[in-house]
Amino acid sequence: MIELKGKERIWEKYQKEIPLDRYYYARSCIRQNFWPGSETTFIKILEEELGKTILDEEHHTTCSGIAYHCDVIPQETTMTIVARQFSLMCESGYEHFVPSCITSFGIYTEILETWNEHPEVEEKIKRMLMEATGREFRKPKFLVHPSDVIYALRFDILKKAKYRLVNAKTGEPLKCVEHVGCHYAKMFPDKGVGGAEFPRVLMGMIEAWGGEVVDYPERRTCCGFGFRQYMVQANRGYSIACTKRKFDSMEPYKPDLIVTNCPGCPFFLDRWQYVIAEMEGKVYTEDGYGIPVLTYEELAGIVLGYNPWELGLQMHQVSVEPLLKKIGFEYDPLDKFKVGNQTILTLPEAPGVLKV
Amino acid sequence: MEETKKHVLIVGAGIAGLEAATHLEELGYKVSIIEKQQVTGGHVKNWFKTFPYFDASEAIINFAERSLSKFDVYNETQLTYAERNDNGFKVNTDKNKQFQADAILLTPGFKVFDAHKKEEYGYGIFQHVITNADLEKYFRNGWPERDNKNLRFGFIHCVGSRDAKSGNLYCSKVCCATAVKQAIEVRQHFPDSEVYCFYMDLRMFGKNYEEMFQAAQEKHGINFVRARLSEVNQNFDNTLLIKVEDTLTSRPMKLTLDYIVLMSGMEPAENAAQLSQIFGVPTDESGFFAPEKYLVSENNTVSEGVFVAGTATGPKTITETINDARSAALAIHHYLSHSRIPTEHGKE
Amino acid sequence: MGELVDRLKADVRIKDSLHACIHCGTCTAICPAASFYDYDPRELTSTVQDIVARGDDKRLIELLSSNYIWYCGECMSCKTRCPRDNAPGVIIEALRALAQETGLFAESEKGRQQLMIKRTLGEWIVDYGYCVVGDKMLLEMFPEQGPNWQWVLDNIDLVFEKQGAHYQKEGNGAMRKIPKEDLDELRMIYKVTGADKRFKTIEEFSKKKAEEMGIQFDESHDCEYFKHVYTFNSNNK
Repeated sequence: MIELKGKERIWEKYQKEIPLDRYYYARSCIRQNFWPGSETTFIKILEEELGKTILDEEHHTTCSGIAYHCDVIPQETTMTIVARQFSLMCESGYEHFVPSCITSFGIYTEILETWNEHPEVEEKIKRMLMEATGREFRKPKFLVHPSDVIYALRFDILKKAKYRLVNAKTGEPLKCVEHVGCHYAKMFPDKGVGGAEFPRVLMGMIEAWGGEVVDYPERRTCCGFGFRQYMVQANRGYSIACTKRKFDSMEPYKPDLIVTNCPGCPFFLDRWQYVIAEMEGKVYTEDGYGIPVLTYEELAGIVLGYNPWELGLQMHQVSVEPLLKKIGFEYDPLDKFKVGNQTILTLPEAPGVLKV
Repeated sequence: MEETKKHVLIVGAGIAGLEAATHLEELGYKVSIIEKQQVTGGHVKNWFKTFPYFDASEAIINFAERSLSKFDVYNETQLTYAERNDNGFKVNTDKNKQFQADAILLTPGFKVFDAHKKEEYGYGIFQHVITNADLEKYFRNGWPERDNKNLRFGFIHCVGSRDAKSGNLYCSKVCCATAVKQAIEVRQHFPDSEVYCFYMDLRMFGKNYEEMFQAAQEKHGINFVRARLSEVNQNFDNTLLIKVEDTLTSRPMKLTLDYIVLMSGMEPAENAAQLSQIFGVPTDESGFFAPEKYLVSENNTVSEGVFVAGTATGPKTITETINDARSAALAIHHYLSHSRIPTEHGKE
Repeated sequence: MGELVDRLKADVRIKDSLHACIHCGTCTAICPAASFYDYDPRELTSTVQDIVARGDDKRLIELLSSNYIWYCGECMSCKTRCPRDNAPGVIIEALRALAQETGLFAESEKGRQQLMIKRTLGEWIVDYGYCVVGDKMLLEMFPEQGPNWQWVLDNIDLVFEKQGAHYQKEGNGAMRKIPKEDLDELRMIYKVTGADKRFKTIEEFSKKKAEEMGIQFDESHDCEYFKHVYTFNSNNK
């Protein structure tokens, strides 16, 4: 097939070395808030399914990436906070740094590249970190994103999979839209699996687990977070317009799901569908539920048959149940808004247009 | 008794090598050419028409091969090794043929930039994304089957040239004129087509190029948009969607096209680095051979007895290549006949 | 002559991301901001190139005081493709930094919005150790989060427990309460690296501008000026 051969030529060029054990995990601000189950699942898959070692210690903080890209803190501040994170990694005896967020990954990569080009900047940050905290640091031996790790281990996950990304009734592979965060590979294409134009990191997972990837004209377009373009209400039109453009473009392909590897992207791809439904009455699937948006850990967790409500699918505004039904996933719908032995908590309000 | 002729070995039987051979033979030298392809004629052999007069490439080849019977051509032969000796150069090839030459002329030509490397253009991934070289084949051999009505073509200038991301900072010079020529040919072949040229600058430097460009606009209705292609995608109906900014009106645009023609630039030949090493001829930052002295002595090299000509020193038109080859023949003649032309005014 | 330009040139981001622009438009073609705003990264790059080449402080001041530098969403799609290895998105970062250090940010409608970001994200980092703090993302300010988020906020502890996270609890885990000693280190970093200084500048110039504009200003998120920069020109009924 002309298409796949052409892509394989590109992928051959981008061979990223991914370590397969002993990770220092740096959590993501957005994911901790909106997709905490995804981070829990990442650790669970690595430790319980695959017997890997991953350290989740309590002293690390934000990398300050969002504030940096909102331009509210100086570059030296972010660099020093990053240096502190590296210091914690070294203290704990680890060399493989795995930041949960894509913006983080971009920040760490950019800072390491800058220090390579300008060693005097690295020296300055060493001094600042010492002055502020008394800490020293060494740069990590490997810097990889958790989606790189899941990509590298996708066939090991497949061995334990209970479900596939396949329509249980028809046997057809699910049509999957993959959305790779901008800060993964756009700045330094050779730091991403597959490069920036036809990245392979999510495609590899989807195909390994039985799905079919759908390409559409606006695939490479930013989801529209835009940092300050979302945070400030006055700018928010930029954000929703960007995401809507992607939805309009993918609609004819009738995707069954969207999977992303960035924290912000699923937030926008999920929530803006709700807003577009309420503002314009438009839903992007025929059944009125919208296109489910998943993180790659949620996708892996579904394939492994984990409890969807421990994965955190109840935190999504666009319901994921239609997808679960499609692949024949057995789950307890009553458990969705329940916690342990608690009586059913109050249910959230239903939106006006979007079906939930 | 006849004096033994001096022997010139030429590497590469494209039009530069052939033209130099023609003149060297006439000047009384024995000439051998080694050529890695099955046939002589280099790239021009694969083309259809030439700019700006739309003469057939075949006519150029006929011209270049006019003395072919007078010298020895060794096809499907590649140079593997060479060393200096008292009588010039001993040269080995991959076909168990050895040569003893008094002078060497390197005319390995150029290589077309591999458009796969511009990943965002989708060459080899999306259907109907082709290069200028592919298009010449269509002109010669016919077009592939498809619904050929109202086709929209986009010619993309500067593919693999003037581009830090491709690793080639230089301008490949002849692609602009080629694009205008090919655009006109497409309009002539498909009278109901819509044709765009997306350019950064229009290098219409040669005689009648500007007039060809004006005819392209006025007579053939080709649209020239000052924009560099950023991205190619495929639509749901398999047409191609491009994103550009029309920089003259400051408007980002999306266009749907049926064919995209990537004007891939000239790069140094595959074996240029190897020849540079073997013969001690330095290359410039772009990998083309560096002559002894730019501007005034571009066929001589710092390696005595080794000469260069044609696109091996940089992108050229057909005419420039032919003239350069003649100039190289004269330079070799002066060398072999111990010319007493000084190199500078006031020096012997 | 050119003192402000010299400060801009000293930024390592300018050194790495500003080279001569050939006006090809590759960046603008795929820039989201160029689609939705009257913004053109190609024009921005060549404007800055010009300013830097001529040491034109006057024109730099104009640029830093305008809305023009605040449209970019820093997606970096431009950086991937530029044939001259420019990165308009990174140049923008350097311009925004200088605009805030000099107080010129307060001269433009979009620049003034930095106050809102400073008082939320900027402060949350040292107060909590996160850029974004869930129970502060209230639906009044971020209604697009939807009714499911309101339900999460109402039941945050339990909902987080179910997913193996411990909202603002001690120990490790998602959204844990980050220990005080770590937050103190962040505070010191803020002090040593100039974040405190910048925050002070943002507050000072915002206060001055609020006075000029006759809008009530104090340190709270409820003050009129905060609400103004957050919502002005958002077409919200």
